[in-house]
Amino acid sequence: MRFDIQQFSRTVILAAFAIFFIKLHVTGDITKYVNPKYDVMSQMAAGIFVFLFFVQMTRVWRTSQSARDHCSAGCGHHHGEDASLAKKGISYGILILPLIIGFSLSPETLNSTMAENKGMILTKGDASNTDTDSDPSSIHTNNSELHKTDPLPNNNYIEEEDYQKEMERFHEGEYINMQKDLFSPYYDDISLHPREFAGKEIKLKGFVYREEGLRSNQLIISRFLITHCIADAIVIGLITEFEQAHTIEEDQWMEIEGILDVTTYDGVEVPVIKGKRGKVIEEPSEPYVYPVLRRVAE
Amino acid sequence: MFRGLLISKMDFTSLLVIGGVIVFISLNQWVGEKWFIYLPDSFHQLNTIFLSIVIEAIPFVLIGVFIAGFIQIFITEDHIQRFIPKNKMSAVTMSCILGGFFPACECGIVPITRRLAAKGVPIYAAVGFLLTGPLINPIVVLSTYMAFGNEAQMAALRMGIGFIAAMIIALVISLFFQSSQLKHANIVSQPIKKESFIRRIEEMVKHSIDEFFDMGKFLIMGAFIAAFLQTYVSMNSLFLLGDSLAGSTVVMMGLAYVLSLCSEADAFIGASFRYIFPSTSILAFLIYGPMIDLKNTMMLLGAFKPKFVITLVGCITLIVFVSVMAVTLL
Repeated sequence: MRFDIQQFSRTVILAAFAIFFIKLHVTGDITKYVNPKYDVMSQMAAGIFVFLFFVQMTRVWRTSQSARDHCSAGCGHHHGEDASLAKKGISYGILILPLIIGFSLSPETLNSTMAENKGMILTKGDASNTDTDSDPSSIHTNNSELHKTDPLPNNNYIEEEDYQKEMERFHEGEYINMQKDLFSPYYDDISLHPREFAGKEIKLKGFVYREEGLRSNQLIISRFLITHCIADAIVIGLITEFEQAHTIEEDQWMEIEGILDVTTYDGVEVPVIKGKRGKVIEEPSEPYVYPVLRRVAE
Repeated sequence: MFRGLLISKMDFTSLLVIGGVIVFISLNQWVGEKWFIYLPDSFHQLNTIFLSIVIEAIPFVLIGVFIAGFIQIFITEDHIQRFIPKNKMSAVTMSCILGGFFPACECGIVPITRRLAAKGVPIYAAVGFLLTGPLINPIVVLSTYMAFGNEAQMAALRMGIGFIAAMIIALVISLFFQSSQLKHANIVSQPIKKESFIRRIEEMVKHSIDEFFDMGKFLIMGAFIAAFLQTYVSMNSLFLLGDSLAGSTVVMMGLAYVLSLCSEADAFIGASFRYIFPSTSILAFLIYGPMIDLKNTMMLLGAFKPKFVITLVGCITLIVFVSVMAVTLL
């Protein structure tokens, strides 16, 4: 009977992968990497790793008879057993890289540096500074129809019917509360038809991001929209205007209340928020927003 | 007595493994607290993106290696000889259709393709399967349909043009390559012994583990390079090319390659570009990404000969570009 160091390292690595995936779910860090909608997939991965770990454990001790046992039955794969020690070291080094990073660092929320790299979709390119004409005070507003929506379930599945109702209320109401779960459909509608929403009151949370061509009293209140994982994140956000905007640092999270208006940026009509109230807030526990998936009721 | 010995041996091993894991984790945490805090912020962002790609892809890779293990143990060369048509054209057609019914991700499909090639599936048929597997399947159809505002046109074009392009690519490959093209020639398998079902399942799992260790490192390398490029290269630098139709199509294909998105999610990203790029370029993005991308290329390089992989990437790039452009002319 012989102790097989390579099979032993593989066992340890499989166990570490299992613990890593379990840890992600226990601490909730998984939402900082992958859209919670895909939770099931990574839970399944954790289960498979645990299972593989138990099977792999039986291979750590080899009798001379079982040494090449599973291979006698038609082995078709390359075991890496004949590879040199250095080569083996490198390939295991690569394999444990995500584990090293995963256990030693806590996940970082994407910030404005990343936003700059990705570029904002609707406000791409240089701005031709056009002053806005409309004066916010001239726009008649009253927030008579203050509606607070109940927080929707976190996994962002919405019944088609509820979604339609939500969107209807959003179009007709005078007060828009950009809550996390409906952030992206609201954003889509507002940026596609900025005129339709001019004059309405809006409230949203996001981090401060600046693009070239913004005036000193302007900044963008932004969120990252995650479709599947952080790698596919895109920045969405609304230009916001208020006096002290230049004093706020990038990446600072803010809650803004204001009135929607239309401005031109880079020759394109875009929505703008004339800020009324704003406060600096802590980064929320769930910084990202996700696309809404509608579940058509059976 | 032997049984008792076996159990205590397993207990001992598991203690050893648990010890190893604890040492590994605490070492990492110590290193993290001591050293990693001095790293620049951008490096933390890089790590987060890298991990997110790995975490997203691993479930699909696990499914892939399980299927590869299954093929290894339960499917013999005889089965394959019987099922794959001798005629090249019909072999390619069959593999492309089979791939279309097979719900796989582009990273999960590589170990499966490798295993199929090792079992004697002609390389051009394996390529057809490799290309249509991630591109054409129910989940991708649905997500494309949803991403483009519940309009069927883009989803239909994606599947239709994608299928035709995959057929052409596989046929072109059949002209250049006949042999298996596997990196390790010793990967050829021998006939399977008659063994009990449980024993064969056990073998299948063990093969899946080896397969995971074989392919995992290439996935991780690819994910790291993709994350690096995303963190340090500005997307705006891509837009320098982007005014003509051909230019913007090249840009979108480059983007699809570098981002290495899963084919289930890429439709939403593609859709977000539809206001700045013509739909031809978006279509190129949607067809090219699932067929080949950075992490996928790394995995292919781990399985097949470099010359073959380079030719394949070249073929895919050229043929997808030409067929998408041809659609615009029609």
